[in-house]
Amino acid sequence: MAIIEVNHLTKEYQLGHLTSLKETALNTLRRLAFQPVHERELFKALDDVNFHIDEGEVVGIIGHNGAGKSTLLKHLANISKPTKGEVIVRGSVAPLIEVGAGVNPELTGRENIYLNGAILGIPKKIIQRKLDEIIDFSELEQFIDTPVKRYSSGMTVKLGFSIATTMDADVLIVDEVLAVGDLAFQRKCFDRMEELIKRQGKTVLLVSHNIRQIQRICNRVILLDHGKVNMDDDPQMVCNAYYEQSDKKINANASKSQTVFEGSGELELIEIYFKNHDGQKVDSISYSGDCSLHFKIHSLRELEDVTFGFGFHTTDFLYLTTHNSEEQLNINLLPIGNHEICCDIKNLPLLPGIYSLRFGITAGQTARTVLYGENLKHFQIVGDIPITIREGFFALDAMWTQQTSKQAPVTSTSKA
Amino acid sequence: MHNIFINLYKYRELIAALTWKNIVIRYKQAYLGILWAVLKPIMLMLVFTLVKSFVGIETGGLPYPLITFAALIPWVFFQESVSEGVNSVTSNASLIKKIYFPREVFPLTAMVTKLVELLISFAILAGMMIYYQVMPTVQAVWIPAFVLYTMIVALTISFFGAAMNVYYRDIGQAIPIALSLLMYGSPVIYPLSLVQKKLVIEQAAGAWSNDLYFLYTLNPLVGIIDGFQSALIRATQPDFDVIYPGLILILTILPFSYWFFKRAENWFADVI
Repeated sequence: MAIIEVNHLTKEYQLGHLTSLKETALNTLRRLAFQPVHERELFKALDDVNFHIDEGEVVGIIGHNGAGKSTLLKHLANISKPTKGEVIVRGSVAPLIEVGAGVNPELTGRENIYLNGAILGIPKKIIQRKLDEIIDFSELEQFIDTPVKRYSSGMTVKLGFSIATTMDADVLIVDEVLAVGDLAFQRKCFDRMEELIKRQGKTVLLVSHNIRQIQRICNRVILLDHGKVNMDDDPQMVCNAYYEQSDKKINANASKSQTVFEGSGELELIEIYFKNHDGQKVDSISYSGDCSLHFKIHSLRELEDVTFGFGFHTTDFLYLTTHNSEEQLNINLLPIGNHEICCDIKNLPLLPGIYSLRFGITAGQTARTVLYGENLKHFQIVGDIPITIREGFFALDAMWTQQTSKQAPVTSTSKA
Repeated sequence: MHNIFINLYKYRELIAALTWKNIVIRYKQAYLGILWAVLKPIMLMLVFTLVKSFVGIETGGLPYPLITFAALIPWVFFQESVSEGVNSVTSNASLIKKIYFPREVFPLTAMVTKLVELLISFAILAGMMIYYQVMPTVQAVWIPAFVLYTMIVALTISFFGAAMNVYYRDIGQAIPIALSLLMYGSPVIYPLSLVQKKLVIEQAAGAWSNDLYFLYTLNPLVGIIDGFQSALIRATQPDFDVIYPGLILILTILPFSYWFFKRAENWFADVI
């Protein structure tokens, strides 16, 4: 039996404020009688959401701002009640919705451990037993008897996270908590989460905008869009779809406002395009194929010692490659007028997906930036990848073999 | 209804922790600490004693400060429990939005917090009784019952008020005014015997006297305060005729108040 069942969950909120006094008074009477009030416009934060989660599943919930992620978690944690439909949770729930929600600034760290423990429903005995472990994990030994109001914000969330993950519940509901503290502590939190998930087999629901984290930690991802379940599938598939969606949104935003450029005004970028190996202009390039990248520019002034550089990055700005023209293309003087430069790429190793491009030009002895822009062109890599590659960004030219050893023969099941 | 008691037991650690938090936070950076909690009844007692020296109130031979303080103990406990209780849900908005536990924990915690302060007031009353050489008798066993009764009255108002306050903050504003009016409708400054003398014996309001007296006793605080004074100072059996009207009224309202709170609770996180 599923540990979490969400059936036809719909949540409506009323928009705006009441205006006239008469309306307010009438609505007051209706509300006192627990009758619905119709005067205000309704907003569907969740619209007929259905899914089941089995024990031990680690489910990520992703979506744009306002897609209904946090509203959904609030229903699972029993904080909000559905307008329609039902939410069934079979087991205890540890809602880590915003860690440190119950942390009180006036109390010391130690006092807050006890208070938050009580708020999360952890028995005092368990807190006492685990006190040292919590303090140790939070890395706050030195400050544990100082009021939290004197803590830095990072210290406060560290404390909150340490307490919250002590809770022994069947279902963990986590809202953006992994982005806690400095890098080293984030790593620790991540390990703690993985331990809870993998070793203790807990059911976890995770909301995050950090898609890479979701992809890594979850074995199933639900994509919400405007209160509806858009996709509910394997993390790889859903995350890719989400990237594509975000991309469209980014493109739409970019066309509305000018693409942000850093430029000295000496040079204008006219066009960037790809050509496939047949010399045709394309927007999608095949995986492992050859292509060429073309940049059309218009220089308004004469430029000396010009160097070009481009790079591929993911739509969330993870830089994947860079390639400069130094030692490949020497332009001592670039005259005024239109120019086209081109870079040939062989066996493009990027795996299928959506990527973007950044491009820059420097000039002069000091290599000052004449032009630089990121996210300048989105392009898609298409094609089939060999079965040996499942995830990542690049294909590795690699081969598996088995070392045959005369002393100790290893039994192989694949070949007799 | 019995859910209250189940939850009270189930969430006893939470209520204890939140109570402790309330007390620690309120007095942590105050030099006088928890003494502030009892300063209010003491100041009121001093003011009333001063007023009494001008107007002259019959106290039946008992020292007026003692009689007033015995009235102020349940009154201040009630008043503070209600005003804290009514604001308890809205002042914990951050918790309500982030985590679930039965929301009645908040009004209950507000009351338990005041219970701690009540105990300190009792210590001061004990000191005063020694000073005036008034010794408690076996009638003092009624006191816990009266404290419990006061808690029930405070909760009845808190549940309804706290839930309404989430939707309409007017309630939080109105409660202090209503409570200060109610004080004059309760035998805090004057003893109950004065009202009885005017309305029951002298029939001061003519044909309306008995009805008015009944209306007066519908105020549960009348029975509570008089009971406190009887059991502690006068060493007599509490006057149950004064208690019944208010008690029956409160026990009738309490289930509705609690039901209202539980119904409204579902939307606290959305509205608050």
